[in-house]
Amino acid sequence: MASVLEERREPAVAPSLSARSRRRSELTGPDRALGAALTVAGLIPTLALAFLAYQMVKEAYPAIIFNGWHFFTSKTFTIGNLYAPIQHKRGYAAPHGASYGVLPLLVGTLLSSVFALILAVPVSVAGAILLVEKLPQRIQGTLGIFLELLAGIPSVVFGLWGVYTFGPLLSRTVYKWVDSLGIPWLSGHTGAGEGLATASVVLAVMIIPIIASITRELVRSVPTVAKEGAVALGLTPSETVRYVTIPYVRTGIIAAAVLGWARALGETIAVLIISGNALNIYPHSIFAPFSTMAATIAAFLDSALTDPTGMAVHALAQVGLVLLAVTILTNFGGRLLTRRFADQALPVGRGV
Amino acid sequence: MSEQTTSAVTESQARRPEVTTVGPPVPAEMENPVFVVENLDFYYGSHQALRGVNMKIGRNEITALIGPSGCGKTTFLRCLNRLNDLIAGTRVRGRIDFAGKPIYDPSLAAIELRRRIGMVFQKPNPFPKSIYDNIAIAPKVNGMKVNMDDLVEECLTRAALWDEVKGKLKASAFSLSGGQQQRLCIARAIAVKPEVILMDEPASALDPLATIRIEDLMSELKKDYTIVVVTHNMQQAARVSDRTAFFNVDDSQGVRTGVLVEMGTTHQIFTSPTDQRTDDYITGRFG
Amino acid sequence: MRTRRAVTDRLFWGFCFLAFALIAAPSVSMLISVAHQAAPAVGWSLFSQTTKGIGIQNAILGTLLLLLGVLIVAGTIGVAAGVYLAEFASGRSEKVLRFFSEVLAGMPSIVIGYIGYITLVVQFHWGYSLLAAVIALSVLVMPYIVKTTEVALRQVPSVLREGAAGLGMPRYSTLGRILVPTALPAITSGLIVALAISTGELAPLLFTAGFSDHNPRLQLFHQQVPYLTNVIFTDLALPGKRPHATSAAAALVSLVILIVLIVAGRIVAGRARRNTARMSL
Repeated sequence: MASVLEERREPAVAPSLSARSRRRSELTGPDRALGAALTVAGLIPTLALAFLAYQMVKEAYPAIIFNGWHFFTSKTFTIGNLYAPIQHKRGYAAPHGASYGVLPLLVGTLLSSVFALILAVPVSVAGAILLVEKLPQRIQGTLGIFLELLAGIPSVVFGLWGVYTFGPLLSRTVYKWVDSLGIPWLSGHTGAGEGLATASVVLAVMIIPIIASITRELVRSVPTVAKEGAVALGLTPSETVRYVTIPYVRTGIIAAAVLGWARALGETIAVLIISGNALNIYPHSIFAPFSTMAATIAAFLDSALTDPTGMAVHALAQVGLVLLAVTILTNFGGRLLTRRFADQALPVGRGV
Repeated sequence: MSEQTTSAVTESQARRPEVTTVGPPVPAEMENPVFVVENLDFYYGSHQALRGVNMKIGRNEITALIGPSGCGKTTFLRCLNRLNDLIAGTRVRGRIDFAGKPIYDPSLAAIELRRRIGMVFQKPNPFPKSIYDNIAIAPKVNGMKVNMDDLVEECLTRAALWDEVKGKLKASAFSLSGGQQQRLCIARAIAVKPEVILMDEPASALDPLATIRIEDLMSELKKDYTIVVVTHNMQQAARVSDRTAFFNVDDSQGVRTGVLVEMGTTHQIFTSPTDQRTDDYITGRFG
Repeated sequence: MRTRRAVTDRLFWGFCFLAFALIAAPSVSMLISVAHQAAPAVGWSLFSQTTKGIGIQNAILGTLLLLLGVLIVAGTIGVAAGVYLAEFASGRSEKVLRFFSEVLAGMPSIVIGYIGYITLVVQFHWGYSLLAAVIALSVLVMPYIVKTTEVALRQVPSVLREGAAGLGMPRYSTLGRILVPTALPAITSGLIVALAISTGELAPLLFTAGFSDHNPRLQLFHQQVPYLTNVIFTDLALPGKRPHATSAAAALVSLVILIVLIVAGRIVAGRARRNTARMSL
């Protein structure tokens, strides 16, 4: 048989078309025109990112040179005395007494966002699991509206609610009780509820819809057969969740948490309203006022514009650059983490 | 011993599907073939799916491609209208001539080729549009100057669907049953006046009654079109086709690759195949 | 043993219920709180007067104008970029462009506002203006639209692409007549969410849109634009009961816009689901 095949393999020309020319022959003239127009559109998000990054670095550059390491070691952020003689350092001018230290802002940003994440993840995951596993389909849709509503509420409304309703409520009840326990750093003047604790809780409420709605979709995508297998082995519903559902969706939950964290890191207005705007100090207790990088940019930009040397505006750009770096780092970290967890995937086999 | 052999033969004869193709039997030699395939190799990335296929496909005949799963018969079918080009990482070597011209030619527009070669898929895939629009959309896009209402009626009539849908042409195509949807897809394919219709297991997702209707339709369409049909169902091949090509998985060279074992008139393949593998397959000894 | 497992099960679901309550409670509390604070300001004058008087007509119109601008700018570019990623891009360029679009999605909104101010408002001499505000908002929501459009198109079954190709339909008509119409509900629901996000944003607008007590005009440059979140924010800081109520009323109106958008999005998304369900017949 093989020899017959050999014989039949005559020198018939074999015009093997390259992948490229095959692709080309798929497209008509209008297709190419449309393709070109869409390519331009496809480039725009990337160009916008490049433009933002370039402008950010360009704006921050004088401050980077002027500040040196001082930026990361100093606690003090002040635009200085605008009526005193101007100081010069490394070829750049700034008002007398100006000092740009990002450290308390960095600490405030990280603390508030991490606290928010710690509060939000378990609540979101548990709520999403309940929504999918226990509640009837009809109610699921209606209750899902809460998630969407929560996701869309303007952050300034969160601020309003946090500072007038929720903060005072927490201060009168939960904070008072926690304070009475006398644990170091967890006790102190609770005030009217402005400060790190309330900001973290409000941030948590703001990122819950992000994490919960992604988790909800993930839990829905767990194959019924996997769950049925667990039930057939005599596992209780909560054990099924623990051994089948959670392993199945873990990677996705990490990705969702990273998304939520990024939102908490960059949140501006709500934090600005609730934080109590403490500058130049580290929060001495969980109830203390503080500030974040994003809130500081918003709060300072107006007054920074009055600085005749312009250094204050550059310093704010540098703060923004640090914020950007932190956000992108969490993004990358999240990607690495999901990849690592994704490697040991196929969790179905383990549970069932 | 000889008795045993005889009984084995009778037994295998008994299992052979009976050839009942409609119309006069086709001659063994083919004049004026529509497709001439020479030394066709096909690769998905580094995996070779077809090796050295040589085949001629006759005009106004029904050619059935049969063989076990993974033998490359669907891949071969999709080479005929270059539909595999849509899949990234595929490579073709060899030559396919359609109506005397090579189809893998840089100057040839793939979409023009596909308009002349219609295709019906394994699962009915009507567009999410009305019954009318499903048929009218491709002629409209291709700029055919015809009375669209007439064309729609003509195609639906030819696809034996007109009487069932004439009152609800504006209804969604998804309101039809699976069998009706598949006939709609056939009507859609003939609306652009192709010369050939490729069918990839057109009845595999349908119930027996709908299958019979599709088969009747194929025999009817044979008068005007050349039909190439992939089928898992040997009875179907024996019922409708004029010629049959048997593909098989070959691992003699270390890798599993699809090859064409033999091709002949359906009568010859089902009564006196020349290759033992063909005989084994059609008598149900494997596959 | 059996009972301990049963108890654990009860505890677990109890915790879930608690968590769910913790999710639902804030939105209810926020609605009540906002409505309660807004009550004194609610009346016809809210809609018939501008912020020069005791209403917020100018802010409502300004917000709607901004939404229209976002729909035009981010909607067009975002959908086109999503179509490109789903249907035209391939290989490395596809991966790179998608990655950068996702990085842009994580851009803190105040950074966008800052750059918008420094470049568009100051360097380009546009001043506080409609165009600067629309561009800042558009950069914020565009990656979201890109993503939802891409996903929507990828969910269109490939048998439809092959079916159209098998009929000899060119790519652009396959896209325009089959793929995009099929994905349209999902794309639209993505656009609606983008509008919902835009309604609630303040940080990118604070230094690009400015504010005005007059109704907005259709002028791209050098014309400040009033909008709701600004009223919420600035009136909150003003002394007295009246501004406070106005602030809450502006919050209430933006919540109403939000709810309208969510309901519209749900109706459209429901259609999208039915579409896909029917096609996987």
